Amino acid sequence: MTRFDAIVIGGGINGLAAATTLARKGKSVCLVEARNTLGGMATYAIGNGPPLANLLHNLSPAVLASMGVDPSAIKTRRLRTAVLGDAPVIVDGAAARMADGTPHPDSERFAGLVDRLTSYGALLRQLAEAPAPVGAPDTMARLRQLWRLGRFGMSVKRLGKVEMRRFLQLLLSNAYDAVLDELPDGPLTGMLAADAVRGAATGPRSPGTVFNLIYRMGHGGNPELPEGSMTQVFNVLADAAKNAGVTISTGVRVKQITLEDGYVTGVETDDGPLKAPLVLSTQSLPATVRSLGAAHLDIEATRRARHLRARGTVAKVNLQLNGLPELVHLPDPADQYRLLIAPSADYVETAFNPAKYGGMSDTPVIEAVIVQGATGPWLSANVQFAPSNLTGGWTDAAKDTLLKTTLAAFAPYVPGLEPRIESTQVITPSDIETATGTPGGHWHQAEMALDQLLTLRPVPGFERGRVGPAGLYLCGASAHPGGDVMGLAGRNAAFAVLEDLA
Amino acid sequence: MSVVTDPKIGLIDGPVHSRLDSLNRARGWYDWAGYAAPSVLDTMEFEYFALRNQASLLDISPMHKYRITGPDAGIVLNRMVTRDVGKIASGQVGYAVWCDEDGMVIDDGTLFRLGKDDWRLCCQEPMLDWLLEAAWGFDATVEDESHAVAALSLQGPTAYSVLSAAGLDVGDLKPFGIRDLGEVMISRTGFTGDLGYELWCHWDAAEALWDTLWTAGKNWGLRAIGYDAVDLARIEAGFMTAGVDFQPVHATERLNRGHTPFELNLGWLVDFSKGHFNGRGALEKVANSPRSLLLRVDVEGFKPAQGALVYSGKRREVGHVTSGIWSPTTKRSIALAHVKMPYATKRPENLWAEIYVEQEGQWHTRWARLTKVKGPFFAPPRARATPPAAT
Amino acid sequence: MTLSTNYDAIIAGAGHNGLTTAAYLARAGLRVLVVEKNDWIGGAAVSRSLHDGWTYSNCSYVCSLLRREIARDLDLPKHGLQVIPYEGGATFTRDGDYFAYYSDHHALRREMARFSARDADAYQRYSTAIMRQCRFIRPFLLRDAPDPTSLRPRDLGEMAYLVKKAYGLGQRELQETLRFWTMSIGDFLDEHFESDLIKAHLAGSGIIGTGLGVYSPGTAYVLLHHYMGDIDGGIGAWGFARGGMGAISKALGKAFESYGGTIHVGAGVEEILTENGRVTGVALEDGKEFHAPIVASNMDVKRTFLRHVNRTDLPGDFVTAVERFKIRGSSAKLNISLDQLPDFPAAPDHASFLRGDLHASESLFELERAYDDWKVGKWSEKPYIDMLIPSQIDPTMAPPGAHMMTVFVQYAPYDLAVDGVRSGENWTEDKRQTMADAVLDQIAVACPDIRDRIQHMEIRSPAELEREVGLTEGNIFQGELTFDQLFFNRPVPGYAGYDSPIEGLYLCGSSAHPGGGVMGAPGANAARAILRRGPRHRRMKGYAA
Repeated sequence: MTRFDAIVIGGGINGLAAATTLARKGKSVCLVEARNTLGGMATYAIGNGPPLANLLHNLSPAVLASMGVDPSAIKTRRLRTAVLGDAPVIVDGAAARMADGTPHPDSERFAGLVDRLTSYGALLRQLAEAPAPVGAPDTMARLRQLWRLGRFGMSVKRLGKVEMRRFLQLLLSNAYDAVLDELPDGPLTGMLAADAVRGAATGPRSPGTVFNLIYRMGHGGNPELPEGSMTQVFNVLADAAKNAGVTISTGVRVKQITLEDGYVTGVETDDGPLKAPLVLSTQSLPATVRSLGAAHLDIEATRRARHLRARGTVAKVNLQLNGLPELVHLPDPADQYRLLIAPSADYVETAFNPAKYGGMSDTPVIEAVIVQGATGPWLSANVQFAPSNLTGGWTDAAKDTLLKTTLAAFAPYVPGLEPRIESTQVITPSDIETATGTPGGHWHQAEMALDQLLTLRPVPGFERGRVGPAGLYLCGASAHPGGDVMGLAGRNAAFAVLEDLA
Repeated sequence: MSVVTDPKIGLIDGPVHSRLDSLNRARGWYDWAGYAAPSVLDTMEFEYFALRNQASLLDISPMHKYRITGPDAGIVLNRMVTRDVGKIASGQVGYAVWCDEDGMVIDDGTLFRLGKDDWRLCCQEPMLDWLLEAAWGFDATVEDESHAVAALSLQGPTAYSVLSAAGLDVGDLKPFGIRDLGEVMISRTGFTGDLGYELWCHWDAAEALWDTLWTAGKNWGLRAIGYDAVDLARIEAGFMTAGVDFQPVHATERLNRGHTPFELNLGWLVDFSKGHFNGRGALEKVANSPRSLLLRVDVEGFKPAQGALVYSGKRREVGHVTSGIWSPTTKRSIALAHVKMPYATKRPENLWAEIYVEQEGQWHTRWARLTKVKGPFFAPPRARATPPAAT
Repeated sequence: MTLSTNYDAIIAGAGHNGLTTAAYLARAGLRVLVVEKNDWIGGAAVSRSLHDGWTYSNCSYVCSLLRREIARDLDLPKHGLQVIPYEGGATFTRDGDYFAYYSDHHALRREMARFSARDADAYQRYSTAIMRQCRFIRPFLLRDAPDPTSLRPRDLGEMAYLVKKAYGLGQRELQETLRFWTMSIGDFLDEHFESDLIKAHLAGSGIIGTGLGVYSPGTAYVLLHHYMGDIDGGIGAWGFARGGMGAISKALGKAFESYGGTIHVGAGVEEILTENGRVTGVALEDGKEFHAPIVASNMDVKRTFLRHVNRTDLPGDFVTAVERFKIRGSSAKLNISLDQLPDFPAAPDHASFLRGDLHASESLFELERAYDDWKVGKWSEKPYIDMLIPSQIDPTMAPPGAHMMTVFVQYAPYDLAVDGVRSGENWTEDKRQTMADAVLDQIAVACPDIRDRIQHMEIRSPAELEREVGLTEGNIFQGELTFDQLFFNRPVPGYAGYDSPIEGLYLCGSSAHPGGGVMGAPGANAARAILRRGPRHRRMKGYAA
């Protein structure tokens, strides 16, 4: 039996980031992944269907640097966003145009708002790119923490008095008011409202949603479609891990995290034990607690873990097509766009209403892209809101309703869609939960709300991802700064571990 | 606008209220967990001496009682309390204390091991939510028995004789032992430091049990008593009371009012060798650095020191008395006092209490030197003798 | 009597905050004039008799937040203020049961245990958590909010105080505090309780007066805003002002006059006069002009700056920020004269909770749905009601044997949607009656005979509140209590110090820190700021100093 310095549970973006970062700092690392493929939730797919994650919009350059990946090795194609409607709007970065190429009447105000949010996003990125400022193990770490906070404070200060005040107000505001203060309600505000709540169990009127929107823009926020598919991205990342010396075991399920005298000793897998004094888990907090055993944690800690909010609200609807469908009023073929059904901020808020009570949206918010599968194009749609706790459960009938609602939402703008459909897949949050073990099938393992972010992520008492016994850390999306194909949670955990060891 | 008292407000009756009500000549009731409990039934003095000289009967049914059962019951309790419950044998009672994640005492109580996987926890603070939280994810059931199980405390030198007269022979029952007699369960436990038993039965059977004991006690000087008398006895025994001598941390609104077991002289109940338990991480850090200590002190002079502030060298305020009485049995003024570190250990002979004394409408200050006392103020051998003496 | 035209300070609006500012300034020796558009004083803290023999607390109706420091400084009891705590409360259910809240600890425990034994236990943890937050926040209410962008000693000092208080909590409690402040009351209650009814009863304070739902982040703070008051040291206790809420304004008015101040009623401010970016006085609707180097406006920030100040005197981004200030009407009110006490069939005889706040919303979902209605411009089909019958305790409110009922209604929009158009103009008599009907249906859950008992009923939609009291959109807090509009962001960033871009013009109403409720803190804080910055640089004296 081999001993390692560290074991990383889970081969998603964060597991790879954590393992590789540690390995490049000279640690011997073993990464164990239950499935036979790497990529975690991002690459989860049914049959030859497209993976759950299609787009990269905030893959962290800092993570790539820590992993020793040349950013140019990840080839992507930037998409424009088409907000579907009777008068569709095409958005590229901060530029908003009508279908005929003329600037949108509100394009200047829109650009101003997007630029502002992007610059705020760059600020928040500073906080995202380091362990959350809490629970430093020693004076040196505390000083580093203070230095980072001070640097952040100075960056905020450098905005100037007026912008700083606006930042401190906007940050705590809600997406609905923030966008409607600048723009009349319509496709542009609809897009921003939808982006603010994507993956979340909240509507744009909820305070705190601007924070999510800004966070998303930390890396520009542009939708990038990976060449090939998401699997290719993970091939590059896996190569980096191997180059760094990470031992990768796929198809190995961790049954138990093992302990001795309050210290982690490794993991028990269905393939036998693995030994290491450090274990980093990309599993969500509740799943990690289960692997550890609640008896090894304080009662308050398990209570907090129990109350972690993680209600997934996004279902995936994949439509296998026999050719690209025509888009009404839009000049370019469908595979040139991120297609969005979010005609107004009010629409997004209304779509969320039923989800509060365990229902699915009658008029869903949809983000879709065309991805090329082995057999041809798929239209892969994220459909919101489809809550994991659907009243009556996700029966076949409920899935069918969701599919029909989705098709009905597309019908006015993509009239030729239905005849092109060869086959369909509906992947509900419950399916995601079953397949990946993530509670509620939540994209970020834990709701990205102000009370579950930064030093409060996932819940108080697990500062810097430390869980109970010495040597056990969270390094997945439920740790700071959260999910998406970003990788910072894994990198931050690795840094926290290194700092704790020092 | 007639305003009449709400029927749901106020104190409710315990299981033997009809008996107590007819005995309560002093009409002294107090609020014990919402029940009307006697503070004094006739005269506190005679009730106290009945406890120390004959036998006394007190209804302790308002205590919170919880039943924890199931294959994981022991794991759940070990997760919660600081001592190793595995060392409490079936048929035994153990004193236990439990802490929050910061190592601050939530409450203390007695754990009755009724069977291998069958436990009862008795305590003063409501604990259902906490127990259920501790049991989350484990194969254990928690049931609130507070209103289903009644308990009578029979304490005093002739307590054993009263039981014998009632046909309940527990002569071989050692301290902290349990005897299940079907209708009634008897434990050799109490809150007085004297020979005594607690009798546990179904809520509805309590009146009959009371009557049985009452009849049996006729020739043994049995007297029904209120809490005021017990309070004297428990201070003499050196026992602390939640909400008086320490603040249960879940009930503190102000921060940092909690105490670790070490600060309450309960370090002996903390077992770091048993694996994880709640607050362990925090307690390991503070085991050797208490912020204050709860001291048992002998107070110079003849005045009770209740509420007095404690000074080091009559100059620096370093603590306060939480329970201070004139002890009728030991004939001295005794007290429990919180004293800050390092004053609690450094030059303890230099600790003074500033006592305010009222004499016929006038207040005076008295300085009284405090002397630390190890162990209880009063611990008669009869309390532990097995079989107990007949008187 | 002829009034002098020159003063040291003029207060625009005789609401409780305006009167508080006025009284503190007069007490410090300034010559102060209060001008009020209505023929009576009090703003939204009034007692009026609209139906012979009955007195209504037309707007605000219960009291807790009024700072004890102010009552002491201004000697309000001497001027007739008496506050009596009320007894508990209840939520009635459609199946004929109820959940009663008792201030008596054990009675409450037993009542909770009727619905969940665990909840009865968990309540201690819940109330401890709330009380810890109250203890944390209360000292900030009578302090200035620091400007985080400023390096002035005062701002740094206040910032240091904040950091010290936060640091003093310790890491764990600080985390809990941050979490509490950013949470929804729904999530907070879900973490503590399992009974829907108990949660619904406790959640009400999290939404009263706000355009947020019980599951909107930030509503835990709104609950705190309703709990941070006290009566005689009982934190979180609520009570009646004897004689109605107007008794508070009356006492403040008398205190003000006892310090030599003058109140001019019956004519509102038409324009706040300025000269070279400095305030010089006010011109009233009746044509009178009064002059003073200091004007404090009790009106909300929108009304003050968008209606009564020449915009050319204001920087553009300030105007934008004021325009964006969220001040959404979300509450309505019924004031009802009853010929006798209605029958509450579910309640036991002599139930004390009938003398408290009564409700009829049974679950958090029901409350959240009420919010969904409001979002689209409708009043809630099943509104949350906060209903009291103060005449059971206060003999001055109704003839003997008869009663007066006050019913607060959440949610009712200001800009009612009719045929796709949202406007305050849509509140026609017909609409008001239809809304009242929905409210009476809710009241009937508790007392089915309510309609037979009514002698007279005043229906107040947000539009009435705006028209009569002058609160923009009828928002009872003079602005939403959301994070982006609290503390240093209230009313707008950079102007949390009660000042404005116009020298000498101050805000002293609830639009300013720390916000709404009959609290008096903005008024006292504004007085402190005025005295400090005024030409004579005085320091305010007293407990609120």
